[in-house]
Amino acid sequence: MATDEDLIGAVATGDGRALEELCRRYERGLHQFIFRHTGGRDVDDLYQETWLRVVRAARRFDRRRRFSTWLFQIAVNLCRDWHRRRPPEPVDPADIEATREGTAAAADAALDARRLLAALPEPQRSAVILRYYHDLGEEEMAEVLGCPRGTVKSRLHHAMARLTQMARQ
Amino acid sequence: MSECDEVLARLFLRRPLDAGAAAHLSACPRCSSEQRHVRRVAEALASHDVPPPASTLSARVLGAAAPLLARHARRAAWRTLARALSAALVPLPLIVFLDFYLMRAMYGVLDALLPRALSLYVVFNYAATLTLLLALTYGMIPIVAERQMRLRREESRA
Repeated sequence: MATDEDLIGAVATGDGRALEELCRRYERGLHQFIFRHTGGRDVDDLYQETWLRVVRAARRFDRRRRFSTWLFQIAVNLCRDWHRRRPPEPVDPADIEATREGTAAAADAALDARRLLAALPEPQRSAVILRYYHDLGEEEMAEVLGCPRGTVKSRLHHAMARLTQMARQ
Repeated sequence: MSECDEVLARLFLRRPLDAGAAAHLSACPRCSSEQRHVRRVAEALASHDVPPPASTLSARVLGAAAPLLARHARRAAWRTLARALSAALVPLPLIVFLDFYLMRAMYGVLDALLPRALSLYVVFNYAATLTLLLALTYGMIPIVAERQMRLRREESRA
């Protein structure tokens, strides 16, 4: 079976079937990553843009690197940019009603993962998603996030402290 | 990282605790009070279900990437052709030079044995055949280069 690195090499020569295979391999993981990062907003657009960037830069891909690391690096950068110029959150009238009523259900939902992740600053959120959901090691995370390993550790530590604090409240 | 942090991180990541970590958890007052919150967070994160991507998403991506792929394919074809042509053109001056001297020597020998017109005819025929063969060889280069690219693509896909 062709490796991801072979396939991206083929994509660089214009092979559509190689791209299709790569999409198939990473479809779920990448989609989940973006979904969790943006809270489910603009996921399809960001997913598509990630692959377009992959295709555009395929010729520059360094074959000594892991493709998955590179792919997630692109996705992290896109999500980061998206958070910087994030469009305003669409307001659901049902949410306003629930908040007004202050129902018990709303209180229970206070600790749902979406809110927890949304409460984290972007660098910590990326670290938590990559570690918790994608099981990346610290070394690989450091490469994806473009920071030293120590920074990854400290981001995870601070994220955990923040999330625990939220659980305590 | 302190032992407390390590134990809490394991709980956070829902990793099994070894005997040492479990002992620390029950002995350490900070960890025993924190563990409930950490477990709650871990459970909340674990329950985060993401809907599967739309079935049309891959097709949409491939459609959007098609012009980029076509550009890559054109570029790759030109690059392969340029490489093949430059590799093939390197020995051409030597081939022409050697053939020129070979024909001249052949003409000298034939001229001594045959009438001049016949010698010229034989040498001209030889030169024409050689030119035709060279033209065919160089004409085949784009076809061979394209075939090699296709084979390489199929190999990488297999």
